[in-house]
Amino acid sequence: MSVAASQRVGVFLILDDGERPPARGGPPGLDLIRSYSSQLPEVVRVSTLPATPRPDPLALASAIRRDTLEAVVLAGANPGALKPAFTRAMDLAGADPARVRLARFRRGDGSDRATEAAQAAVACAVLGVPYHLATIRETRAVHAGTLVIGGGVAGIQAALEIADAGQRVVLVEKTGTLGGHMAMFDKTFPTLDCAACILTPKMVAVGQHEMIEVMTLSEVIGVDGTPGNYRVEIRNRARRVDPAACVACHACMEVCPTIVPSEFDAGIATRKAIFMPFPQAVPNAYLIDAASCVYVQTEGQRCGACVKKCAKQAIDLDAEDEVVLRDVGNIIVATGYEPFPAEQVERYGFRRYPNVLTALEFERLTNASGPTGGRIVMKTKRFNKRRKVEEWVCDPEGPQPASVAIIHCVGSRDRNHNPYCSRVCCMYSLKFAHLVREKLPDARCYEFYIDMRAFGKGYEEFFERIKEEGVAVVRGRSAKVIEKDGRMVVRGEDILGDRMLEYPVDMVLLSVGLQPSPGSADLAALLGIGRDEHGFFRELEYNADPTGTERGGIFVAGVCQGPKDIPDTVAQAAAVAARALRSVVSGIERDSSGGLTAAQVESRARELATQLAAL
Amino acid sequence: MAVRANPRLIDELELYGAEDVQKCYHCGNCSAVCPFSREPFLFPRKSMRYLQMGLEERLAGTLEPWLCYYCGECSEQCPREAEPGETMMSIRRWLTAQYDVTGLSKLFYRSWRAELAAVLLVALLTGAGFLLFGLKYGGGSLGVYAGPGAFLPASSVHVFDWILGGTLAALLAANCARMWWLTTGRDRRVRVPLLDYVTRAFLVPLHFVTQKRYRECESKRPWAVHFALVASYLTMLVLIMLFLESLHAAPANRLAHAFGYLATAGLLGTTLYALRGRWRRATPLHRHSHETDWVFLVLLVYVAATGILQHALYRWFGLDTAANVVYIAHLMGAVPMLAVEVPFSKWSHLAYRPLAMYFADLHERALARAASPAGAQSVPAAA
Repeated sequence: MSVAASQRVGVFLILDDGERPPARGGPPGLDLIRSYSSQLPEVVRVSTLPATPRPDPLALASAIRRDTLEAVVLAGANPGALKPAFTRAMDLAGADPARVRLARFRRGDGSDRATEAAQAAVACAVLGVPYHLATIRETRAVHAGTLVIGGGVAGIQAALEIADAGQRVVLVEKTGTLGGHMAMFDKTFPTLDCAACILTPKMVAVGQHEMIEVMTLSEVIGVDGTPGNYRVEIRNRARRVDPAACVACHACMEVCPTIVPSEFDAGIATRKAIFMPFPQAVPNAYLIDAASCVYVQTEGQRCGACVKKCAKQAIDLDAEDEVVLRDVGNIIVATGYEPFPAEQVERYGFRRYPNVLTALEFERLTNASGPTGGRIVMKTKRFNKRRKVEEWVCDPEGPQPASVAIIHCVGSRDRNHNPYCSRVCCMYSLKFAHLVREKLPDARCYEFYIDMRAFGKGYEEFFERIKEEGVAVVRGRSAKVIEKDGRMVVRGEDILGDRMLEYPVDMVLLSVGLQPSPGSADLAALLGIGRDEHGFFRELEYNADPTGTERGGIFVAGVCQGPKDIPDTVAQAAAVAARALRSVVSGIERDSSGGLTAAQVESRARELATQLAAL
Repeated sequence: MAVRANPRLIDELELYGAEDVQKCYHCGNCSAVCPFSREPFLFPRKSMRYLQMGLEERLAGTLEPWLCYYCGECSEQCPREAEPGETMMSIRRWLTAQYDVTGLSKLFYRSWRAELAAVLLVALLTGAGFLLFGLKYGGGSLGVYAGPGAFLPASSVHVFDWILGGTLAALLAANCARMWWLTTGRDRRVRVPLLDYVTRAFLVPLHFVTQKRYRECESKRPWAVHFALVASYLTMLVLIMLFLESLHAAPANRLAHAFGYLATAGLLGTTLYALRGRWRRATPLHRHSHETDWVFLVLLVYVAATGILQHALYRWFGLDTAANVVYIAHLMGAVPMLAVEVPFSKWSHLAYRPLAMYFADLHERALARAASPAGAQSVPAAA
């Protein structure tokens, strides 16, 4: 396998499927790979070939004979497809047919990193050295701590896996409590388990774990260092309530004059400026929302009522943000998602009609610990004496809907919004239909879908079950919600029934899709990792390395990598913990995933080639 | 009965301007946003389906494309950017070719060169014909426009107009009969009683004159423009077919001229507006333009402009020779425009649209009768 310095090598760059040979210039990165290949001393010829049609071995053989090639390198996304033709051509030309070597790489978007990797792959193939041998990084000591960004179910699971293995974790969460979106859910599909019953014990376990340092109201603002040794800068926004002292007696909340919509209840209920997101919050203590607190906003001129009421003297309204530093070896990104903003699809009447609700609003409405105690009610008009306006509120005693329509794919599979499938909406919509039928047996329930994506374990069975429960499942995305004679009417085409439907309904649920959380772009830039065309963090290799990123020691888990349901999120979170633990337990970073330049790989490959030749 | 599928139907429709039909994933959004889509005529999704499945015969029998006015709402909201509105437009062109008994329409829609060649050929024949006629049987001198000794006497042109009108009407009537056969006559699901044909016949002139269905679109503007165009055109038609001689009469017939000015202004205004829209691609309707759309509009503008010009040259400036030359140029535009566009191309919709409304009404009544027990008197009661 060794390579004599005098060996004559020909490099054939194979274009991607459907790519035409460019008359001038070239696809991104291709020219750089080409010029790099031609300056390698062994290379006597570089040419470009389309992937199809397959080249004729006879023509190739004459080309090989003309340049008296002793070895050829096929370089591209799928070079193996052309190997038989070249093996035959080498044989015909009288050269060694075994000396057809492959350099496999993806040029992708032509980023510098992809180009470097491609060049390195060509260098290895030219020198006849296995790529994975030449690209092993220098090993270096790894810091044992792990940073987890995001306190939803993915972050919680990953943190627990690592901490339970006896390693340190710093968990950074942007809001005032752990839990994320899953804490807001009523039931999980398809098992209809209580979401909180699964999540809250894990939240408590994280909060009490001696190996986990939980930082809520915190954000990563800087990352420095190399894989295995990162120094992270974290800003802790002032909580203004000492969690150690607060006993959650509610006295402060009762005197607080400010009422704002509750984020945890998706806006269908209110909270005070000093509040606890929900009773099972971790840390289980009050916090102050600086943006709505009168004292903070007037810079201490007014209010301060809560301070006087607090028997434990836990409140410090003048507390300030602080920035802390933590050293870690690995970073796990689990920042989740935000629901698609339903108001962008005007025809569904969200915010125009009070009883058009988004998925999260309905989760809170039907949740036994929600503002109505789990009673599904229509919004009723009430006069707000303080603000002197009429507003729509969810009154626990309010009237219940007699008919509910559920509209799938809101903002998903739509080139005007998000072109991708959000994967969870079909199933949670079916779950909603079940909850409606269970809690309101007399109510009619309609589902309008495009394609039913019940792809997971037990999902298809769940779909069958929902149909048996008497839900009218209509194939055809309803197009609009209109008002007729004072009632909401959902209009849609029943494609299988060849009918146009106009159902009068009391409540419309919009199954909104998932999209990357707003801070993703900044975080990606901060960490030096890539994002895909929709803004989700890009995994290193879709099949083989779905948790790794372009930067060693940084991993992704959960919906921030791409839409997925709870079981998949938990599985990926556990997988990512194993990746972090691998380097922590071994104590050395041997990540082959990146960072080396083509020149570095080439010089290593040369060393290896001479070693191999000496054997 | 077996249903035949033509796997190349979409390819064929692409020659008529269809694009992106394969992108459709049948969510039904387009049908539901469409203000015209009502049972039993659901569209555009169903037409997209026929195309994807290659159901040529079904497609040839649909009335739906003629019930669509291309407001573009479906294309705007299509989650797949499959352009259902443009597909309906292309199907209308394809249907025009299906209805045409001569096969010329197929040729013109699929090759703009053929259409242009036909227009030029008819134009040359018209020009040569009128020139020869003027020299041999008319006044003989280009210097006389109207009155005794006129190069082209109004009475002769009048006769020619009626011959041309009669020929075109006959061709169009044959196409309309074929349309009836394809959409209604051969359809065994719809049995239309003869009485219905008579009592509902008023729908054809009603829709022809008012285009009232177009008004049901969310924006009234396209209807207003179209109505102004049709009203102007009809005014001109009446003037030319019935009052051509009084237009040419020496003491100006002020009433006839007033109508003429109004109609010319209407024609020029609306066609220039439409040209500007297509040029700027302002609305979904104007985003895609088939070659035949341009030919139609350009000819209309040309005919209206030369029409008023020959009038102006004679009446305002007294330039008889110039007026005669422009008059022949005018006829060289008007005759091919009518001969090509009315029976074989875009303009045929003046007959197909009102007829489609009429047939749709008949279908609806027939289906309702078949569905309701009271209407099924002829069928012996089962009980």
